[in-house]
Amino acid sequence: MRSGKISDILLGALCSIAALTGIGALIWIVTDLIQLGLPHLSPGFFTEEVTESGRGGGIGPILASTALILLSCLTLAVPIGVGSALWFAEMITEKSRTGKLLTASIDLLASVPSIVFGLFGMVFFCQVLGLGFSILAGGLTLACMVLPIVIRTTISAMRAIPQDLRPAAAALGLSRTTTLGKILLPRALPGILVGVTISVARALSETAALIFTSGYATRWPGSLNDSGRAVSVHIYDLAMNIPNGAGRASASALVLLTLILIINLTASFLSDRWFARQSATHPAING
Amino acid sequence: MDSLSISDLTIRYGNFTAVKDVNLEVPAGEITALVGPSGCGKSTFLASLNRLTDLTPGCIAEGKIVLGESGCILGPNVNILKLRRRVGMVFQKPNPFPQSIRRNFEIPLREHGIPKREIADRTESALKDVGLWDEVSNRLDQSALQLSGGQQQRLCIARALALDPQVILFDEPCSALDPLASAVVEDHIAALRGRVTVIIVTHNLAQARRISDSTAIFWIRDGAGTIVEHGPAKTLFTSASDPDAVYYLSGERG
Repeated sequence: MRSGKISDILLGALCSIAALTGIGALIWIVTDLIQLGLPHLSPGFFTEEVTESGRGGGIGPILASTALILLSCLTLAVPIGVGSALWFAEMITEKSRTGKLLTASIDLLASVPSIVFGLFGMVFFCQVLGLGFSILAGGLTLACMVLPIVIRTTISAMRAIPQDLRPAAAALGLSRTTTLGKILLPRALPGILVGVTISVARALSETAALIFTSGYATRWPGSLNDSGRAVSVHIYDLAMNIPNGAGRASASALVLLTLILIINLTASFLSDRWFARQSATHPAING
Repeated sequence: MDSLSISDLTIRYGNFTAVKDVNLEVPAGEITALVGPSGCGKSTFLASLNRLTDLTPGCIAEGKIVLGESGCILGPNVNILKLRRRVGMVFQKPNPFPQSIRRNFEIPLREHGIPKREIADRTESALKDVGLWDEVSNRLDQSALQLSGGQQQRLCIARALALDPQVILFDEPCSALDPLASAVVEDHIAALRGRVTVIIVTHNLAQARRISDSTAIFWIRDGAGTIVEHGPAKTLFTSASDPDAVYYLSGERG
């Protein structure tokens, strides 16, 4: 038995209450969604077109648009984000003036509200670049939004690499490119994967940045230049603008939640396997 | 095998002088041990011999380091990657790449343009040189980090040997290992005599005495590390003249 000091018991109780409140909120939301949404779910819901502004049919075209928006977002955000993070982690020292300035800019970019990205995307991608309300404009806007996430996680993955690998590589006469490409990057990959996963979850759950950029259209997207509605925008529209839309909004939310869960689980499975392959069971020196 | 001839070498980090006016002749194919208390510039000196000091921002080496026939290795026109192939290094803590044993050889060998068909042979003969082949030949595709510390260190020696270096620098290669593993690694270093030029930093005086042909003692003079005594290992340990060196060698100081 643990000794019964009052303050210990009190602290334990408070922490338990806090934890239960957090878990409780999650359970409440999920139960609510299941109760409201599950009756609307059927195999057809995933493939059928949207009818009666969402009161009927399914969310087939919306899932397709969401996938395309996500794809265009990642196609831009991952190479640029990883590239700039590598440059940042390998070429700039954290404590230098440039380093501090860059860290501050990334932090600032990360804390910009998504509606501001939406407005920026509408002006820059839709109007200045002439992309109009389109999947591409939405994807590019999301790319700007998730860029700091990709950059930050990649930087911390690079900084977490054991320090002795760099001199080991240098002493063998390996060039910087080989050191980065064949030794450091493979080691950092699981961390980068985590960053991409967080970005995907963030992009999938984004509404404000997409309303003004990829738009509302519920038809099947024919190309990246078409307007297309993302799942989160659909949920927002059903819940706010369509009378009796709550049931189908919940059904769509349930689909979105499941999707994010699957992506998270896959990513953590992959990165676990990667780590297992890289460092075997006991990375420690044992004699 | 190449000899190394170091004259008037001074190494600075910004305003701090780590090593001052070092002169040392390292004969080809011999084993030269560097001993002395911690913080007197031995490791810095060693790292300057294949320009690994370049990795530290603000570190400047002045003077002359002449490698074999190829002239001074300091200066901007030296191909550093080729230099490091000729002058390999093994560190205090074993540092295999966190990949398979095979990849640990493949990456550097490919980098230096060794044809693919030769890589397996070179890997095998380097592993045999350090007595590791029989222990790992059936698990070359497993992670190098699964090996014990002593095996990892021998892998690092083999990895350096596979590139056919002229000189190998050892920076306290046994101090992170247990006594038995340390003895095995030491034997393999001693076996390199006559094949490559070896310079080894060690805190173990008995080890320096056992394996080196000549020994140099580093000490702090005027705030910077320098060599205070240098000579054949056989006689140096009994006939040192510098008072600090005498105390150090007798085990009364350092």
